[in-house]
Amino acid sequence: MRDAYLIGAAQTDFGAFPKESYRSLFRQAYEAAVETVPGGIEPEDVDEAYVGMLSIGGRQIGLSAPAVAEHAGLSNIPCTRLENACAASGYAIRDAVQAVKSGMADIVVAGGTEVMNDVSSETLPYWLGVSGEMEWERMAGTTFAGVYAQIASAHMAEYGTTREQLSHVAVKSHQHGAMNPHAQLGFECSLEDAENAQIVADPLTLYHCCPTTDGAAVTIVASEDVVEEYTDEPIRIVGAGAASDGVGLFQRDSYTNLPAARAAADRAYEMADVGPNDIDFAEVHDCFSIAEIMAYEDLQFCEPGEGGRLAEEGKTALGGQIPVNTSGGLKSKGHPIGATGAGQAVEIFKQLRGEAGERQVEGAKRGLAHNVGGSGGAVSVHIFEGPEVDT
Amino acid sequence: MRAIESGVAGIGAYVPDQRIPASALREGWGQFLARGISTKAVPAPDEDAVTMGYEASIRALAAADVDGSEVERLLFASTTLPVAEEDLTARLGAMLSVPETAIRSTVTGSTAAGVQCLVEGACSSGRTLVVASDCPYGAPDDAIEHAAGAGAAAFVLEPDAPLTVMDIAEYALPYPGTRFRNKGSETVDSLSITSYERESLKRALSGAASQLDYDTNKVAAAAVHAPDAAIPYRGSEPLGVDNETVAAAMIVDEIGDAGTAGVGLALASAVADGADSVLVAGYGSGATAALLCLESAADQAPPVELTIEGRRRLSFAEYVRLRGEVTSGAPEGGGGYVSVPTWQRSLAQRYRLEAGRCPTCKELNFPPTGVCSACGTSVEYEPVELKRSGTLEALSVISQGGAPPEFAELQTKYGGAYATGIVAFDGPEGGSASAPAFVLDAEPDDLAVGDRVEATIRRIYTQEGVTRYGFKVAPVEEANER
Repeated sequence: MRDAYLIGAAQTDFGAFPKESYRSLFRQAYEAAVETVPGGIEPEDVDEAYVGMLSIGGRQIGLSAPAVAEHAGLSNIPCTRLENACAASGYAIRDAVQAVKSGMADIVVAGGTEVMNDVSSETLPYWLGVSGEMEWERMAGTTFAGVYAQIASAHMAEYGTTREQLSHVAVKSHQHGAMNPHAQLGFECSLEDAENAQIVADPLTLYHCCPTTDGAAVTIVASEDVVEEYTDEPIRIVGAGAASDGVGLFQRDSYTNLPAARAAADRAYEMADVGPNDIDFAEVHDCFSIAEIMAYEDLQFCEPGEGGRLAEEGKTALGGQIPVNTSGGLKSKGHPIGATGAGQAVEIFKQLRGEAGERQVEGAKRGLAHNVGGSGGAVSVHIFEGPEVDT
Repeated sequence: MRAIESGVAGIGAYVPDQRIPASALREGWGQFLARGISTKAVPAPDEDAVTMGYEASIRALAAADVDGSEVERLLFASTTLPVAEEDLTARLGAMLSVPETAIRSTVTGSTAAGVQCLVEGACSSGRTLVVASDCPYGAPDDAIEHAAGAGAAAFVLEPDAPLTVMDIAEYALPYPGTRFRNKGSETVDSLSITSYERESLKRALSGAASQLDYDTNKVAAAAVHAPDAAIPYRGSEPLGVDNETVAAAMIVDEIGDAGTAGVGLALASAVADGADSVLVAGYGSGATAALLCLESAADQAPPVELTIEGRRRLSFAEYVRLRGEVTSGAPEGGGGYVSVPTWQRSLAQRYRLEAGRCPTCKELNFPPTGVCSACGTSVEYEPVELKRSGTLEALSVISQGGAPPEFAELQTKYGGAYATGIVAFDGPEGGSASAPAFVLDAEPDDLAVGDRVEATIRRIYTQEGVTRYGFKVAPVEEANER
C-alpha cells in the first residue's frame, strides 16, 4: 500500500469566540493549514474530506460535513462527518490515511470543529455527557467528570496514585500551554492552585478537568505519489492504530486503564515497527488528569501503576525523558471535542518541522498522538515521523 | 358479617432515616403547632410512597419468610400516591416479584385506607400483602405540615397465621371538612373546628366499636389513627380503652403523621414490643372507621422486621431544602434521554437486579444483553437474580459542575454533592456482575472503594411526566468499620 504523509496542519486559536461559528472556525483552520503547505493547495486538489464534530448544542447534526466543507470552498467533493465522541478527528485522520493508502484519493482534508461556549449552562451538561453510556452509567448520576473520577478512585485504590500526582499533570500542562499562543488557558498554575481548586467530582478538582472550548483544526494528508509536488518536508504517518470497547466503564475488563488505548497503541507500534522507547514526544488525551496518567501506562511509556510517579518526577515535561503534551494538552490548550484529535496532529506537525518555538522538543523525530472518545469507548493512535528520519 | 379467613404472618415497617426535632422547627418557624410531636421523619428527595412501600414490603416478606412470588393479592394503601392515575401496584408488584396474575388494588383518598386493606386481607383466603405507605404534606406553616412525617408498614396475611384476626368492623357517616385535600392540591387542609372534628372521630370509632366483639380489658395496646400525638387519645373513650393502652402503641411522637401508614406503624411497634392483643383503629375524614381486633396465640408472636430508628438529625435549613420549598426544580435544557419503552424493557434489572448467566462460559452479565462479556458468544442468557449486596469498585462524589442536568435538583436537595460509583453485586452462587449505581449516603466523603453496599429502590428521575424507579445502593455501615 502507498504511504500517507502529513503535508499541512493548522488550528485556530482555542477558546471562547462568540463571533465565530463551527463553519467559520473550520474555514479559518483550513485556510491556515493550506498556508503550511509549501506548494500550496487549491480546492480542486482535494479529493475527499473528513470532518470530526460532535455537534455540541445540537447544531446541524445531519449533513454537517457538507455544511462545513462548502463554507471552506471545498464544493462537490465527498465529505463525511466523523463522530466518535472526543476521538472524532483522530478517526478523521485515520480515514484520510486509509483513503490515501487504498489509492482512492491523493489529497484528503481531515479535521474537526466544535463550538461549545454558545449554549446555556443548563444545556451544556447534557451535551457534555452525551457520549456516556446512557442507560446505566448516566442514570447513576454521572457525566464524564464523574466517570473519570471513578477511574481515579480505582487507580488510587489499586496503585496508590495520589491527587497530588494528578495535580503535577495539570501544572505541567499549564507550563507547556503558557508557551502556546493558541492555548485557551495559556497561563501557568501552581501545585497549590490545582490542589485547592473547587472539587468537580471527587477526587478531581477543576484543575484536573479540561475546559469547554470553541475551535477547529485541519490536517492535509497526501499520498506518496503526489507528496513531492507539495512539500520537501514530508511527515510520514507510519503507524495508525485504533480500537473500541464498551461505552460504559462498568462494561470493561479494567477500570484502571483503557484497554482500547492499549490495543490501539499496540497496533500503531506494530504498523510503524517501533516501540514506546522510539517515541520522542507525544500528544495524549488528557481530558482529565487521570486520563494522562493512564495514557503513559497504556502507551507503555511506563509500567501500569507507574504513571503518577512519571508525572511527579517531571519525566513527561519539556526536557524530560518523554515530553507529553507540549501544546498544553486538552487541559491548557483546550478541548473543542470534534477538533481535538486533529489539533494534536497540528502540534506534532510543528514539532517535527522544528517550528514549535520555545516549546520545541530538541531533536524531535518521531511523535505519537493518542485520541480517546468518551471514557475509552473509541481510541485512535497515530505515529508520525519527521523528514529527518531515514526510511 | 364477612367471614375472617386470614391472620398476620409477618410485619415490616420502614421509616426514613432523617428526623427533624420539634425544637428545630420551632426555632425555624417561631412556633410549632403539632401536638405531642418530638421528632418527625423526613423522606429523602428520592423517596415516595412507592419506594417506602417497597422498603416495608421486603421486610414483611422476609419476616414471614415468604417470597414475593408467593403473594396472591397485593393491596396498596396511600393518600400520597405519586400519580393520580396509573396503577402503581403493577410497579410495586414487579419490584417485589409478585406474580403478574395476582389480584391487586390501590386504596387511596383516606387515612383509613391502610386499615381497610387489612380488613380486606383478613377476609381473603389466599396470601395477601398489604402495603400502607404515606408522606403527607401540609401548607408550610400550619399544624398539618408541622406534624407531617413519613413511613410505611406492610403485612403478610394468610390463614393459620400467628397473629389472629378475631373480629373486624367498618363504619361510615358523613362529616365533611375535617381533613381534606382538594383536586389538584398537594397539601392537606382542615377547617380546624375542634369540637366538630372530635365529634366526627368519636362517632365513627364508636359506631365501628359497637359492632366489634372484643373484651376491652384484654386489649394490651390500641393502635389508633394518629395525625398528631394528641388525637389518638380521643379514641380511648369510644373504643373503651384507657390512655395507657393507647400509649402502648404510640409511635407518632417520634415519626410524625405517617398518614394512612400511621396505624400500621403503631401496630408494628406494639407487636414488636410484645403486645399479644392489639385493637387497630383506622379513621379517615369524611368520616369512616375501620377496626380489627388482633390476638396472638400463646408463644406465637408474628415475626416483625422494623427499620424505624432515625439516625440522622436534620437542621431547619436542610429540612426546608428537602421539602422543596426553596429549590428551583429541574433545569431546562434537557437530560440524558432514555425513552419510556427502552426503560420499561430493563425493569427486571432496575428492580430486581436480574442478570444473565452465559450458558457457554457461566459468566454473569449485567445487563443481560448483547454477546457474553467474557466469551463473546451470542447466547440466550439464563436469568439470574443478583444478591442485593455488593462491593464498591469505583467511586466519585459529584460536586457542582459534575452532575447531569437531570440530577441537578436532586443534587441541591442532597446538599450540593452526591456519590456515585460502580458496584460489583454478589452472584447467587459466587461470582459477581458490575453495574453503575447512585450511592445513598448522608456523608458521601466517608465512602471508600471496597465498601460493602446494599441495593434498595429509589426514584431516579421524572422525565416526560413519568417517574423512573430503579436500584440505588447504600453502605452497610456495620461492614465498613474502619
